[in-house]
Amino acid sequence: MADWDGRGLPPVAAARLERARRSGVKTSLLSVPAHTGVMAAGFTPVGEVMGCIVAHLGWSGYGGCGWAYGMAPPQYTITSTNSRGYFGFGPYVDAKRSAWASAINRMLAECAALGGDGVVGVRLTESDLTEGNREFVALGTAVRSQGQHHAERPFATTLDGQDLAKLLQGGYVPAAIVVAISVGIRHDDWRTIQATFLSAGNIEVSGYTDLVQTVRHDARRDLERRLAELGATGAILTSPMTLRISEIEPGEGHRDHIAESSLVATALVGSFKPAPAPPLSILPLR
Amino acid sequence: MPDDETQQQQLGIPEDAMRRLAEMRPGAPGALFTSDLTVNEFLLVREAGFRPVGLVLGSSIYHVGLQARRWGQNMELERLSQAMYHARELAMSRMEAEADALGADGIVGVRLEIEFKEFGNDLAEFVAVGTAVTSEAGGKWRNDEDKPFTSDLSGQDFWTLIQAGYAPLGMVMGSCVYHIAHQRSFSAMANVGRNVEITQFTEALYDARELAMSRMQAEAEELHAEGIVGVQLLSLPHRWGGHTTEFFAIGTAVRPLRADHTIATPQLVLPLTDR
Repeated sequence: MADWDGRGLPPVAAARLERARRSGVKTSLLSVPAHTGVMAAGFTPVGEVMGCIVAHLGWSGYGGCGWAYGMAPPQYTITSTNSRGYFGFGPYVDAKRSAWASAINRMLAECAALGGDGVVGVRLTESDLTEGNREFVALGTAVRSQGQHHAERPFATTLDGQDLAKLLQGGYVPAAIVVAISVGIRHDDWRTIQATFLSAGNIEVSGYTDLVQTVRHDARRDLERRLAELGATGAILTSPMTLRISEIEPGEGHRDHIAESSLVATALVGSFKPAPAPPLSILPLR
Repeated sequence: MPDDETQQQQLGIPEDAMRRLAEMRPGAPGALFTSDLTVNEFLLVREAGFRPVGLVLGSSIYHVGLQARRWGQNMELERLSQAMYHARELAMSRMEAEADALGADGIVGVRLEIEFKEFGNDLAEFVAVGTAVTSEAGGKWRNDEDKPFTSDLSGQDFWTLIQAGYAPLGMVMGSCVYHIAHQRSFSAMANVGRNVEITQFTEALYDARELAMSRMQAEAEELHAEGIVGVQLLSLPHRWGGHTTEFFAIGTAVRPLRADHTIATPQLVLPLTDR
């Protein structure tokens, strides 16, 4: 096995694509309805494509909540977007973002090598390989336009073949996959701690609410910023927004909470075009 | 507007978030939409004459403690009922405030979820998520209090509802946390080996459900609704053990758009798929 320098595609992937190109065998991960949808939209599946990267996330920033000895503890949430200097999780989020970008770009490189114009039905999976190593995988089916014109840069979408057909008919083109991430950290101040006492009764814990609201906002802001960079007109979220909270104890009697939120969406370009006939209402007999 | 600002602070919406939403308002330079509707729902909502403007959500982390219960007595735990209701109300009103900031006429596909957190004791996140929409043709879609309408119906149901001459007014809900009495050992003994109704339990379950449903109905009356569609009546045990359950009724209150409510007869189809 030759050593690979991390540029382009690994030799084994290049060999698989070369073989597929020579033999002309078309593979696909699509279901029958998705395949029909792709054909109806004027595309032919050309092969399954994958992009993968194992990244070591060893440096997540100082992760501080913004509190130093002798200062009044901060009563706000610091997000990865506005992480300044020693605070926040900026480097961690940047590393994850670039890992996803690499996985998706490698998948698109395979697509281009097969002469595809885009990848549909992309599944993104992230797994923990322990010791700070994480694997990021993008897996989908490359499709090629049946027409004369071919895309300069292949598109990618997490939507399935049927959805591709419906969107194209509705005047939209799926352009790219966007993974938006935000991490926030908030110091447990005295008011927050008090609100979680058993004797506090049934009340809102405003400190934690601020943490989750701020992080959920920041993730959506990240999404919108990246959609604007792509020149998209909108986006469809293809999996529910995730939120994970964990607790850290950087020092005696000093507790912070960290929340991480992410979103996966397909960016759309174009504008709505009503279908030639209104939707036909049907009642299935079953 | 200082009044608006104080209101947002009370609602617990970060200031920064309000600026983000202002940038997303339709017509603002570079405005784009985000939505968690499926492609089918998205296209049907467009077909119904509405335009998605943004994913909106409201969240509240709430400390839901316990309330003392009498071992052998059927009783509503009012303080818990109020807490469960209040936390949901906070999440909903924050979601509505986001939609308001986007200048939306309503919110479709709302999901109201509760997730108990692994950290801390008795902490739960209440989240309301949906897609804010505006009407292309204008018209009055907001409710009498000039708030955007809310609906937990899917895009398909929303389209059908509009076709049938109804409009959603708002999500209505009723909650009742109820403690069902443990049987006294004497009466439990008397029933050994017999098939009988335990009227005490039946009555408790009746009580709790009827309370939840009547609270939901009262909300619909306040909105001057014609009726409630898509009602779900849920029993949510949460984390309170076998005898304490939340009975939760939720649905979408609707108002008529016109006098007749007939839709075109649907085409009957016989699907050849096995699913």
